[in-house]
Amino acid sequence: MQAENVIAIGSSTGGLVALKEILSQFPENLGAAIIIVQHMPGFISKSVVNTLQEVTKLRVKLSKEGEILENNTVYIAPGGDRHLVVNGKKIRLVDGEKVNFCRPSVDVMMHSIAEEFGERAIGTILTGMGCDGAGGIASIKARGGVTIAQDKTTSAVFGMPKAAIDTGKVDSVIPSYKIASEIIERLNHQRLT
Amino acid sequence: MAVDDDPRIREVLEMLFAMEGIDIAVASGGEEAIKILEREGDNIDLLLLDIMMPRMDGWDVVKALKDRGWTNKLLITMLTAKGDPGDKAMELEEYVFDYITKPFDPDELVRRVKDFLEIMDAAK
Repeated sequence: MQAENVIAIGSSTGGLVALKEILSQFPENLGAAIIIVQHMPGFISKSVVNTLQEVTKLRVKLSKEGEILENNTVYIAPGGDRHLVVNGKKIRLVDGEKVNFCRPSVDVMMHSIAEEFGERAIGTILTGMGCDGAGGIASIKARGGVTIAQDKTTSAVFGMPKAAIDTGKVDSVIPSYKIASEIIERLNHQRLT
Repeated sequence: MAVDDDPRIREVLEMLFAMEGIDIAVASGGEEAIKILEREGDNIDLLLLDIMMPRMDGWDVVKALKDRGWTNKLLITMLTAKGDPGDKAMELEEYVFDYITKPFDPDELVRRVKDFLEIMDAAK
């Protein structure tokens, strides 16, 4: 079923541990698509997909050009040479310069999600160095979406979450083990409105 | 491979991973690490890399690996007492997969290293 709600997750250094923790808590009928940009070298993309698939009831896929976003599916951006954007409810893997020293960039992905899904988007920034994702989080918030950042205690590096929080556009700053339940609650609220 | 200028840390890591049956090489600094990688890089899947080291610091090592294309062959985890990665980290962020702060929990370190080695095995 085509997704009407999207959860956009940006993650970097130390992110695998947090992603496993979060994805393992979602039910199989989550009722949204999840798009993840995890900064990583391209050659491990497939095995990261397999590792995440082992811990979650959702379907985990390495994103492909032109795919339509479906509910209860986790789309992982391939590490390496292209940005991931969503356009016309489809995934696009596009060429482009690095943004915030990163490609794929969380900002690029989240800007497109904000544009496409507006108040039916939930943006989440997890552990990582630098500031990728801060601009994307601000976009999601500006379009009426919900924004979440991982807290300092559970972040391996509190760079990306802090940069997002410093924009003043983050709704909840919470430990990684509470992020899944927060997302589910916010998702239920979005569906009612 | 563990890269750390502190011989006590190198010794602890060697003992810890030997107990787990995981082969580990050690280097006392960036120059030695690069020499080892040139010699036997195909057998090294993961770098546990200290940041604060004399001459080449951890970020200099990451940059050297990136310039040689080795960041497309192995995973890098910083293992450091430095809570804040610092400004040098900004442009090298996408090459560093994890960041573990000393003093580390040995069980947690072993668990993560095993996870990363599994990912590397599956990627081959």
